[in-house]
Amino acid sequence: FPGAGVLAQLEKLEARARREAVEQEEREQREERTALLRSRARELRLRRDELRRKLREKEGLRKAGTAADPAHPTPRDVLEWRIRSLRALLQLFHLTGISGKLSKRGVCLTLSTSYEGSHLDSFHLELLARPELRIQRHSIPPFIPLEQLSRRFLPTDLRRFLALLSQHLNAYVGRRFQAEQFQERFSDWIQGTPQRNSLCNLLKFSYSLSRNSRSFPLQARLLYRDPCRSLPTEVTVCCSGEWAPL
Amino acid sequence: MDETVAEYIRRTVLKIPRDEIKMMLQKWGFLSEAQLQTLNFHQIKDNISQEVVQLCEENAADIKQAAVLDIIYNHTYQNKRMWSVYQMRKTGEELEYFDLTDFKKKFKRRLQSALKNVTITFREYEDDAIWIRVAWGTPYRQPNQYKPSYVVYHSQTPYVFISASVLKSNLPLLCQALIVASNYHDIREMELRSHSLNSLKDIVFKRYSQNFHTYCPKPPQARAVEPGSVDLRIINENRSEKERIQRLNQEAFGDGPQPILQFAQYKLETMFKSSPEMDVLDKKEPFRCLVKFSSPHLLESLKSLAPAGMADAPLSPLLTCIPQKARNYFRIREKKGFFPESFVSP
Repeated sequence: FPGAGVLAQLEKLEARARREAVEQEEREQREERTALLRSRARELRLRRDELRRKLREKEGLRKAGTAADPAHPTPRDVLEWRIRSLRALLQLFHLTGISGKLSKRGVCLTLSTSYEGSHLDSFHLELLARPELRIQRHSIPPFIPLEQLSRRFLPTDLRRFLALLSQHLNAYVGRRFQAEQFQERFSDWIQGTPQRNSLCNLLKFSYSLSRNSRSFPLQARLLYRDPCRSLPTEVTVCCSGEWAPL
Repeated sequence: MDETVAEYIRRTVLKIPRDEIKMMLQKWGFLSEAQLQTLNFHQIKDNISQEVVQLCEENAADIKQAAVLDIIYNHTYQNKRMWSVYQMRKTGEELEYFDLTDFKKKFKRRLQSALKNVTITFREYEDDAIWIRVAWGTPYRQPNQYKPSYVVYHSQTPYVFISASVLKSNLPLLCQALIVASNYHDIREMELRSHSLNSLKDIVFKRYSQNFHTYCPKPPQARAVEPGSVDLRIINENRSEKERIQRLNQEAFGDGPQPILQFAQYKLETMFKSSPEMDVLDKKEPFRCLVKFSSPHLLESLKSLAPAGMADAPLSPLLTCIPQKARNYFRIREKKGFFPESFVSP
């Protein structure tokens, strides 16, 4: 069959042409991709050179010793300095005994107490500013005459109110601290439990002294008339009963 | 020793859990160490109490000592009782030098002048708390030791904590004696009740943790650590919402432990509001309704409502104002005058 042979030939030729076209396409694609990658590599090399240059510059600067230029501090340095000085200021305020923080509707005050170098309790007071200065809430113990003080001095004289309140609180905390220390350190001398009250402005206790093989039972009564002081105003000591021999 | 005293001591000892009996008898201090050594605390409580009564017989106990044992029991198990808070008011502004002996004398005198048959017992505790136990009788009958009232008072404060007995009729007398002894003018009951005496004290003495804004840095452990998963594959979709709820909750409740209350009760005396078509009631009268929240620890459970997703944050101020207003019984009326208060002299 001559026709079959020609057809087969033609098919072979067609197939070859197709194959070559595909290969050509692939080759072109490959070349395109290579060109793309080459340009990208070139770009990256340029970028790397630029970064190297910048790095060298910075290192050069530091090595030269002009890191802290006082005339031109970096913004970061300024910020750190500001934070440090603010913290110190807040700590200073805290040490004065009365510190505060403004809130949305007023101010929140912290009254810190101490006695002879020992930091003791902190109390809080939240004041509203409008329509006039008044107490919103607080953590002051109920035996401190807060209502009295606020009635007399708030809203007109905030400074006096705070000063007096601080004195009351410091004195109370001081008296309490002294009473506790007294009970701790002189526990051998004291007989029974000392009697005191919430404000610690009246202290009664019994103790005994011995002299010449005789013991004298004594009772002491300390009255603190001034609520703003932590020292007693009246002390009464009496000797009870007969002198019992040791 | 009186029969009734013996029986009372026996019944008091029976109330105490077996492991605590020795400790409580030691606190009582009425029986000597030697006598306590003779007791066998491993037998059944019936026998222990009988032996204790015998020892008390030897020491000739009277009702005064028995009452002290009862105070010790009730102080140890104070949370079994329901406590109410009363507030006193005074007119003068002089400073008080509270003298305990003076107080006790005045209190006893006032009560005993009105009612001869009373048993009054005092006991002071380390936290400046004065416990008073009063057993009530009538002019013709001896005091009933099984239904006493307990009063806890901290000197120089206007608050008294009372766990009254069932006999409410003696309350006015008790209140009178208290204001006379503590130098106050009048007394009224606050709308604050709980089983936890310490929590009531925390609320009125402002000892609970309120969220004050200060510049004092919070200690690092105060920050809540996220429990469990640090798996980076898990993304918290509602993180900002959760943080908002957390922030509002902290504003409302503070950081520390909440006072323990068992109830919050709201008595509504408001008009029923409905659309005009649904006119449910013919007459416009207040819709009487009582809403009561109860829980073993009410405030803690309210605090966890919003984070658990069961309520919207912020919670209603009616719920969050409880410690601040020092009340857990509210009456809600119509327009103004939300929380009525009234001072009544007895």
